[in-house]
Parts: sequence; C-alpha cells; structure tokens
Amino acid sequence: MKKCAVLGLFITLFWTNALAWCNETGFIGIVKNVEPEAFIIRNDVSEDAVIGKEIAMGDVLKTGTNGSIGVIFNDDTVMAMGPKTEIVVQKFFFIPAEGNLSFIARMVKGTLSFISGQIAKLSPDSVLLETPVATIGPRGTHFLVKIEKE
Amino acid sequence: MTKTSITVLVLGFLLLTAGCGGPRNVVVLVPDPDGSTGSISISNKAGQVLIDSPYHSTNIKDSQSVPTPPAVMEKEKVHSIFSKALAAQPEPPVHFLLYLEKGSTDLTADSMAQIPRIIETIQARNAFSISVIGHTDTLGDKNSNLLLSTQRADSVSQLLIQHGVQKEKIEATSHGEENPLVKTEDNVSEPKNRRVEVIVR
Repeated sequence: MKKCAVLGLFITLFWTNALAWCNETGFIGIVKNVEPEAFIIRNDVSEDAVIGKEIAMGDVLKTGTNGSIGVIFNDDTVMAMGPKTEIVVQKFFFIPAEGNLSFIARMVKGTLSFISGQIAKLSPDSVLLETPVATIGPRGTHFLVKIEKE
Repeated sequence: MTKTSITVLVLGFLLLTAGCGGPRNVVVLVPDPDGSTGSISISNKAGQVLIDSPYHSTNIKDSQSVPTPPAVMEKEKVHSIFSKALAAQPEPPVHFLLYLEKGSTDLTADSMAQIPRIIETIQARNAFSISVIGHTDTLGDKNSNLLLSTQRADSVSQLLIQHGVQKEKIEATSHGEENPLVKTEDNVSEPKNRRVEVIVR
C-alpha cells in the first residue's frame, strides 16, 4: 500500500518537475547584459533584447553595429557577444537525472566569449559550437571566437 | 576586387578601434574566471587542432583548410579584438551549497545559517533567476533518490519564498543521484552529495 502511495507521489512530482524542466517550450537562459542594438529572434519574430529577457531553445541572438548581449544559461554556460554577431541556440538540455545533456549553438559571424558550464563538466562531448569554418568542442573552459562572414 | 576591398575595410575598422590587425576567423583559449585553463578542440573536414594553453589561438581560413597550429596571441591583441564581447560578459552566477541531514529534507544547522547570505546576494545582484537544485548521494535506489532530491529542492524553495524571494524567480529542479559533487560507488552515504545547490544569476 505504502509503496503504491510513494510511487503515485513520485509520478506526480516527477511529472511536475519534468514540465518545469521541459526545454521544448521552457526557458533555458537569461539576458544579463545588453547594449543596443541587440535582438532575440524567435519563430521569425524579432524582439529587442533587454535585461531579464529569457532565452528559449531555437532563439537567434543578433547584435547590430554597436550592440552586445551577455547571457547566462541554466547550466551556468556564459555567452557574451560583441557587435555584428549572430548566434543560434540550437539545442539545450540540462537534465542529468535522465542523462539528457546537450548544448549546441551555431555561430554565423561576429565575436563571442564563451565560458562552458555544467553540461560540459558532466559530458564534455555534448557541448559544441558550430561555425562556418570549424566546430569547437570545449572541455570546461573559456574561449573566444571571431568569425568573419564571407 | 570588390571582395578584397571589403575585407580591407573591415580590418581597417578593427584597426581604428582595436589596434593591431585582425585575423579573419580565430579561436583563442583563455583562463576561466577561477584562473584555471581548460582545453578546446577545433575541427573541420580538413583536420583538428587541440588547444590547452592559455592565450593560445588558431586561425581557420575556411572549412576546407586545416586550423593553424596553436600559437600565442598577445593579451592586448586578444582584449582589443574581443573588447565588446568581454565587456558584455555577465558575472558568473553565485553558487551556494546547502547540506542536509541523511535521508531528510532538513538543512543542517550550518546550512540554515547560510540562508540570510543567500537572500542578501539575491537582493544585491538584483537577481532575475534563482535555480534551486536538489541532489542526493548514491545510498538507495535511483527513483527514491529522485523523489528525495525533488522534495529537498521544494523545501529550500519554500524557505526562500518565506524570506521574501518572489516565487516566479525560482526554478526548482532535481538531479537525483546523477550529479554528485564527490564521485562515489553506488549505494554509498556521502554527506557532501546530500545537498541543495542554490544558483543566483
């Protein structure tokens, strides 16, 4: 009897938490610094990036001539972009209890400072920054990338 | 011809604001905020390069060219090329570790004493998001530990809310026994792993 109750409670709590973690529509990071012009493009709709704005999987982060954006993700990954930069956050899953760990971003152009977070600590191969010229795999670390658009 | 002059203009712009000239595509490894340096691999169809020393960089001409062997890049050059990005870099989040009694959601006395400091930090940083993550050690089965870590996270979240933190800013999650601080064998009681992590962003 008790076992069933515990299982029932577990399923309820787990489901509630699973919804909280749900990264499909859930938020995976937050804008901490911003200088205009800076935008978050989500489902083809462009909005100004502002401090406190939440980031979702699939978002395109874009800065103008003098813009910059600084973001902290839920696993402590830090991404800071300089001017004329464009990055797509393709995949973000941070659910160690399910072994679901993944951070994949694609940098189109610009300058970026990247400090990897807990996903890289738990699963170094799961973090990738793709660029037009090469793919970067960080292992618990801070690196800077500059890409010039062709 | 036009392409060359555009490239020169872009480099020229960089020269005006940034000092010594710009490589086109470059990756530089720099020290972590805590002073240590990790490593990165840079690869494309043509080859792969590994960098594990600070302020070492590689240039990549295009996707068909092998990245150049790692070479030192002067700090001043690094800081000028990346000045705006580095200026936009947020402070790393602050982590607090709260410990719990064995098999329980009760905080240890020492950890209870940390709560005021956490509240202070949230206020001082004007934090927008606070993660509360429950963990367990490997004692017991995975499912019970997932449940316990959830309860732990919820318990600490409640504590923060009672101290005035807005509910909407808190995200409680649980990692069960899957993210230990100290790696142990299965079924090992380890006080350091019985914890709730509070991350203030």
